Amino acid sequence: MAEKQAKKELTVKKLRDKGVKPREEVIEMAKEQRKIIKQISECLKAGPKTIPEIAFEINMPVGIVAWYVLTMFKYGQVEPGEEIDGYYKYKLVAKGGGK
Amino acid sequence: MKYDVLVIGGGIAGIEASLTLGDAGFEVLLVEKDPSIGGHMIQLSKVFPTTDCAGCITTPKMAAAASHPKVHLMTYSEVKEVQKTGKEFRVKVLKKPRYVEEDLCIGCGRCEEVCPVLVPREFDYGIVGRKAVYIPFEMAVPKKAVLDLEHCMMCGRCERACPKDAINFLQEPEEVEITVKAIIVATGYNLFPPERKKEYSYTGNLTLIHTNLNPNIIHAMQMERLLAPSRPYHALLRPGDGKVPERVAWVLCTGSRDKSLGNPLCSRVCCMYSVKQALLYTSAIPFGEAAIYYMDIRAFGKGFEEFYTMVRDLGVYFIRGKVARIESRNGNPVVIVEDTETGEIREDEYDMVVLSVGLLSNPELSEILGIDTNSYGFYVPPDENANPVATKVDGIFVAGTATCPKDIPDTVAEAAAAAAQCIAYLKEVGT
Ligand SMILES: Cc1cc2nc3c(=O)[nH]c(=O)nc-3n(C[C@H](O)[C@H](O)[C@H](O)COP(=O)(O)OP(=O)(O)OC[C@H]3O[C@@H](n4cnc5c(N)ncnc54)[C@H](O)[C@@H]3O)c2cc1C
Ligand code: SF4
Ligand code: SF4
Repeated sequence: MAEKQAKKELTVKKLRDKGVKPREEVIEMAKEQRKIIKQISECLKAGPKTIPEIAFEINMPVGIVAWYVLTMFKYGQVEPGEEIDGYYKYKLVAKGGGK
Repeated sequence: MKYDVLVIGGGIAGIEASLTLGDAGFEVLLVEKDPSIGGHMIQLSKVFPTTDCAGCITTPKMAAAASHPKVHLMTYSEVKEVQKTGKEFRVKVLKKPRYVEEDLCIGCGRCEEVCPVLVPREFDYGIVGRKAVYIPFEMAVPKKAVLDLEHCMMCGRCERACPKDAINFLQEPEEVEITVKAIIVATGYNLFPPERKKEYSYTGNLTLIHTNLNPNIIHAMQMERLLAPSRPYHALLRPGDGKVPERVAWVLCTGSRDKSLGNPLCSRVCCMYSVKQALLYTSAIPFGEAAIYYMDIRAFGKGFEEFYTMVRDLGVYFIRGKVARIESRNGNPVVIVEDTETGEIREDEYDMVVLSVGLLSNPELSEILGIDTNSYGFYVPPDENANPVATKVDGIFVAGTATCPKDIPDTVAEAAAAAAQCIAYLKEVGT
């Protein structure tokens, strides 16, 4: 991998060199996303939780938490466990696991 | 480059027409504006009234189009200019940059795995996220990544991770000039944007949830995604908090038969797709309660009435009345309606409400092609009864929902008719 990087100059760098930059909003959005995913992951380290439980614990609107948790499921970062009263409990997938 | 026929739009109509023409020995260029062919049908769960799996029908046809020796695909491309000179059409097509070399990409998804940016996923109408570089969906044809530069941080992780060096940030839009003898327009429909029906409180963007809008009010295409075997979640869950919905309602004619929204037309499929969704929902959640709010049920096709009666007999509630408003109570949507059979004003609370949105026209190519639309933007033939797939321009034909809302069987029949007319025309002008 290191050898490959040494050989080839990335086209993204060449585009940057031409003066093309990412949008400020995208950088801000990505920061915010990283923060939310980190908060959810930290919260799940203590054990499996439902989406409303995570939202309550990290003090964030449940709709937003739902979108992130279900997207994390799509990318194999969390998995559902038991279902209680219509809500699944999610747990972190050990690194190297996933779909 | 020369082809016999240009087919514009890679939905089921365009695929079907291309395959018929290809099988008859004509060289076809199929131009699709999205990164994959498949159109709306590949996003559906199952189809009424047979409840056959939509993906199982569409995927082999998409693959057949991609591997057909006479059918050539140009995805992520748009027709920009059409000029008729004599018996030929000179066409300029703009190939948008994917920032991924199609011939190198093997669709492995490594780039998507490492990308740090999330964006609402178009294929699932935003109920889940995708990355800034992504494979459009599992069964995409072609199964190649696309990089969305608008949402890219330019961190270069994808480029470093790609085992085939397929990511290319230096790609530019490319204009391709082609010559064809005939054109089939199969550009399909646009979904009615439910946020336009303010009284129904649809949120639009699930990542930007406002306090007065309820993410458990979704539209019918989002419900198709929740019900599909290829659904984004692990189970049928409501998007607002991941609960298994125990009570679900459908609100028919959202954006159809509604003069106040400028669309008095019936969309012809919403009654039946809602009945189908209610059936699939009650099969997935056996104790689930389903209710359909309707003005009247238009079950006009072969087997439709029997399908509707069967679903009604299975215990789905049908409540007659035009829904006035949808409000929220403790995160649950509340439907406010006058039951026109009893005169009672009802306030019914559900876990989730599905807005059965209508089909609007997609007239974006009418000027470029010089073909007529009616006042609703659907393409119209000079004589609808004599020849429903013709246009006022000799050599340009139309098929599918580009001419009016219709279901899949009618769309496919019309695509075959357009292909047959096109073949007759090609023989007349000489190939
Ligand atoms: C919620 C819902 C459920 C449904 N369920 C059923 C069902 O169960 N059974 C049934 O029979 N019918 C159903 N339908 C109807 C069905 O979706 C349509 O009949 C069918 O998909 C129409 O196919 P089409 O090819 O005409 O259009 P589309 O599927 O819209 O395809 C058009 C294609 O053209 C492309 N395109 C558009 N503009 C351009 C352009 N300028 N240049 C290049 N490409 C372009 C689009 O990206 C798209 O790929 C349902 C509809 C909805 C909304
Ligand atoms: S661009 Fe590269 S990493 Fe991404 S899917 Fe294609 S081959 Fe795989
Ligand atoms: S360069 Fe853009 S698309 Fe590639 S990983 Fe970074 S943010 Fe994602």
